[in-house]
Amino acid sequence: MTNVAEGVTPGVDNSRPDDSRRGHVPGDSSMWFFVIGDLVIFGVYFVGYMYFRGQNHELFLQSQARLNLDIGAINTVMLLTSSLFVALGTEAARAGNRVAALQRFWIALAFGAAFPLLKMFEWIPEICSGLTPGTNLFFMYYYVMTGMHLCHVALGLVIMCFILRNLRTSKAPKISFVETGATYWHMVDVLWLVLFALLYLMR
Amino acid sequence: MTALIRNPLTIVWALLAAVTIVSSLIALDGGAAHQINTTVTTAVLLIAAVKAYMVIWHFMEVRRAPIWLKATTGGWVLGLFTLLLSFYYASL
Repeated sequence: MTNVAEGVTPGVDNSRPDDSRRGHVPGDSSMWFFVIGDLVIFGVYFVGYMYFRGQNHELFLQSQARLNLDIGAINTVMLLTSSLFVALGTEAARAGNRVAALQRFWIALAFGAAFPLLKMFEWIPEICSGLTPGTNLFFMYYYVMTGMHLCHVALGLVIMCFILRNLRTSKAPKISFVETGATYWHMVDVLWLVLFALLYLMR
Repeated sequence: MTALIRNPLTIVWALLAAVTIVSSLIALDGGAAHQINTTVTTAVLLIAAVKAYMVIWHFMEVRRAPIWLKATTGGWVLGLFTLLLSFYYASL
């Protein structure tokens, strides 16, 4: 009775059993193979960027000076905050607290959705001032890498909508689905942390 | 609300947000001239490595994962940032 009043409904914990010796893989193993593959692919781009930067430091440093560091930093905090609420929402879903899980995933979605909006405020003035992928090698890397990352953000937001639907409409939400979506979203965050350092911060 | 603030995940987030601000200030201060600066680059790349692993360890829950997942994700962070710093220093 109390549980129902507080919105506490047990979810279907179809995630793998937590064996203290073997550990627990959060979510679906196939998502982890995708995540590791994506991390390796982006890793190759990051190392490629560093190689070409080394061929022409001056060009990369001058181009970097034209980026909007403020929006880059705010967007980093937006993704970190979104990731926090995804982690908190996953924790609540696992504990069977559906109301808290829903609230936290809605907050995560709002912070996550702010990222592409801010990106538009960053990209549009840059493109209008003539900075395009054809400008030079730095801007080619800048638009390709942040563009590919933005596609990942868009997919992550769609996945988060499915998680919200699962939490709202299922009689017993699937915890492994929540964990799988959360894993993907955190990967998007990790990739941005590296991109932010490479494109905006390093000298 | 107090429970949320005291949650270890929230503390991790506060640390991540704080070091993001510190990284930006390092770039704004030491890197304002937009010239090669090994101190700034080493600092911001090492901070990024620690941040990336904190997200993997705490938010992605790799701290509770099997050893193969800990080794793979840890190896990615270590390998990537070793390569990035090596390429950077080799090009100077």
